[in-house]
Amino acid sequence: MLKQSLIPVLTRPASFWALSSRCFLVIGLALAFSSCSSTDDKLPILGQRQAVTKLVDGKPVTDSSYQTIPDFAFVSQYGDTVTAKTLDGKVYVADFFFTSCPTICPKMKVQLKRVYEKFKGNSNVMMLSHTIDPAHDSVPVLKEFADNLGIAGRQWLFVTGDREKIYDIGQNSYMVTAQADSTAPGGVVHSGAFILVDKAKHIRGIYDGTTEAGVDKLMADIDRLLAEYKS
Amino acid sequence: MIRTGAMVALLLVLINTISCQTDVEIKRQRYITEGILIYKTNCANCHQTNGQGLAALYPPLAGSDYLANKNTVICLIRYGQQGPIQVNGKRYNRPMPAQPQLSDLEIAELTTYIYNEWSTETTVTDVKTVTPVLDQCREKVASQ
Repeated sequence: MLKQSLIPVLTRPASFWALSSRCFLVIGLALAFSSCSSTDDKLPILGQRQAVTKLVDGKPVTDSSYQTIPDFAFVSQYGDTVTAKTLDGKVYVADFFFTSCPTICPKMKVQLKRVYEKFKGNSNVMMLSHTIDPAHDSVPVLKEFADNLGIAGRQWLFVTGDREKIYDIGQNSYMVTAQADSTAPGGVVHSGAFILVDKAKHIRGIYDGTTEAGVDKLMADIDRLLAEYKS
Repeated sequence: MIRTGAMVALLLVLINTISCQTDVEIKRQRYITEGILIYKTNCANCHQTNGQGLAALYPPLAGSDYLANKNTVICLIRYGQQGPIQVNGKRYNRPMPAQPQLSDLEIAELTTYIYNEWSTETTVTDVKTVTPVLDQCREKVASQ
């Protein structure tokens, strides 16, 4: 019986296969598009995810847990301690730079300033710039840099702290690269990325902070992310 | 006959002058074209492509009164700059890194571009002018 039903299929003329493959293509495309639109225009959650089994009402429930930015303690340009709690309830943009950097940092600061100007006064949005040269970039150095850049208030914080901890959070949590290299201008090679973090401390986007196009995308995505919290 | 000769001579002088000017103009254009590229690679990060600088961090070149001291400018391009300076009445205090990789010719091209673009100057700052200035400030830097 089984054999009988299979054989006719195999002996069908080639035109059937041509037709059906076209059908599959159409169905496949339809599926692809419907799966796109079903994402609800939300930004993806980036980073590693793990299956976590928890007990809910006495029953084990397996759910995926997303990479989050862990707690930290750095010092801002005002000399006070900044922790993950400082950014609770905020969407924020993180980056890594140093004040004496002659290469990409000035470009990044021009671009991040655009973000600052656009979201100035929006209590849901912050910027967090980590120095990767804490030996030079002390609190007063960061304060002078922020002042000179025309930044006031606490919406954009410039932080310094333990060098190892800054590099560790950069590489392992924000997924950017930074390392000392005596051959590079300024002595450090680092990424020009801006990282968008949501209120649950998940990474929602990584952008090229050295280009206008990259940062246009970031600003559009901040709007999209903020819209998620409105609905 | 004499009149025709005079005319021809005058014409030759004229042609000579025009072609000379064109040579100078070609050289100026060549310097500026190279200068734009050198500027974008080595200077625009801080001073910006439009020469406006960045807030109170990096001083502007466009319309900058600091350009009045061209020898100082030529020197600081190669040897960098430390300590506070005044530009258009504003104080800037951030070190500018040295650019030892730039050759004398590149500094001449860069200087020509900067001065043609952002001051009232319309002439070439030739490499023959730049070299002795650079030699002088190398001695100055070495003696410090």
